[in-house]
Amino acid sequence: MDEANPKGLSQNDATLQQERLQRRALEADLIREAQAGSREAFGALVRQYERQVLRLALHLTGSESDAEDIYQEAFLKAFRYIGNFRFECSFYTWIYRIVTNLCLDQMRRRKTRREDRAVIVDRDGGEIDLLASVSDSRAYSNPARELDRKLMGDKIRDAIAKLTPRERMVFELKHYQGLRLRVIGEMLNTTEETAKNTLFRATKKLRAQLAELHGA
Amino acid sequence: MNCELAHKQIVTAAYEELAGELASELEGHLESCAECRQEREQLLAFKAFADAYPVADPSPNLVARARLRLDEALDALPPSRWYNRLGRQLWTGFTLLRPTPAAALLVLGATFGVLGGYRYALLHPVHAAAAVQSVAHTGVKAQPAAPLPDLANVAGISSVVRQSNSDIVDVRYNQLVPHQVQGSISDPSIRQLLTLASEKASSPGVRGDSVALLAAECRAGHGCQPSGIREALMVALRYDHSARVRQKALEGLEPYIGDDMRVRDAVLEAIMNDRDSSIRASAINLLEPVEADSSVRQVLYSVSNSDMNPQIRYVSRQVLGRVPEIQ
Repeated sequence: MDEANPKGLSQNDATLQQERLQRRALEADLIREAQAGSREAFGALVRQYERQVLRLALHLTGSESDAEDIYQEAFLKAFRYIGNFRFECSFYTWIYRIVTNLCLDQMRRRKTRREDRAVIVDRDGGEIDLLASVSDSRAYSNPARELDRKLMGDKIRDAIAKLTPRERMVFELKHYQGLRLRVIGEMLNTTEETAKNTLFRATKKLRAQLAELHGA
Repeated sequence: MNCELAHKQIVTAAYEELAGELASELEGHLESCAECRQEREQLLAFKAFADAYPVADPSPNLVARARLRLDEALDALPPSRWYNRLGRQLWTGFTLLRPTPAAALLVLGATFGVLGGYRYALLHPVHAAAAVQSVAHTGVKAQPAAPLPDLANVAGISSVVRQSNSDIVDVRYNQLVPHQVQGSISDPSIRQLLTLASEKASSPGVRGDSVALLAAECRAGHGCQPSGIREALMVALRYDHSARVRQKALEGLEPYIGDDMRVRDAVLEAIMNDRDSSIRASAINLLEPVEADSSVRQVLYSVSNSDMNPQIRYVSRQVLGRVPEIQ
């Protein structure tokens, strides 16, 4: 161990940690500039996180237009209230907190509409899922397996939709977005222990529902 | 450790959130409890099953649309006054101090700052012309060699004119003061302005002219990249209110229907949903036989049975009958 590396990290870990600190410092500068009113700085922050925000909103709502609405509301709120950001958590946690609250509100209003760009609705209201019928041109593709995967995906999506909004959010953030339970607790304004219990309830409910479907 | 607690810890461990000591305790329990071992296997199988509902990346089209909409909303917000900015800076500065005196100083400072600024603003009104610059100036001389400003500051595109027998395009756009630039149509900056005009120009004529120019470039195969001009044409086909603009966009996308699935999806949507029957008919006639793409077959079949326009039903049946590869 030396002074430059007091925790005795490997060279790779120390380099990564340094890069992370540098990124955080650059981000802190951007945040301060945005707090002072700089649109460019705010735009740079938006570009850093917009794909993650859209990915989360899209997976939760299943709708491009709903995901777009959530993106719009989240970043407008962030712009209005960025002066309140006090660097007590990462900007990533802060913006995700806004997004998760908006998604929770939306789930509670149950306004999810199916406007997936891969599904078009004809005049009779019937849906044609374009992705289901387009074959995969890759050499190793197996249409039967692809169809099975799609059916499984539909089942899990329907089962997730039956969870409470909070259970659904915790499961989404843990299983699909890979966040730590401590961070999930911060985002949802609760404790890590509560997030853990919610995750347990969510997995239990999902397994029970999927077992019923399998039995049927 | 009892089984009820073990079941909870199994979930925590499966998501790599179980601390070292507790993980060892759980392993110890699992060695002696077959039921809990089975519970763990079932949970791991469930986790794998849940991955059948994948997390999709947002498409570039969605990202671009969302960003554009956000920029428009931010542009529409009223500019903050100097006393608001001062208040924000005071607030930010005071967060570095201890909470109680910081709160007291904040209340005092913000109160006097806002009140003082408000009184000053009342006594010294800012002239409207200085605060809001007109976007209606005309007759500003073009400066051919001037660099383009940040596109985020472009307020609108007022005209797009291509010089006859030339690839020079005049694009008149508004910033704080209207400006004009000339450049070759293959110039990336001109293309960016045309792409902006295709979505943001308030006049359908200007949007139509810019889409027509971009579509011509695409038909000629001049740098019609999937995430650039092609994307702009798909947005125009899907969302523009003017049928003329949508028709031009459709014509520009024709060369890519066979190879680009996203273009094909956009054209199929137009067949199903476009309000204008001539666009729907054009879109049907543009469909190429795409081997093993049953979505094309499905849409044509649906349209041939259910479109309200008899001509559309006839054309789609013709296409289905004429091209055995689609059948």
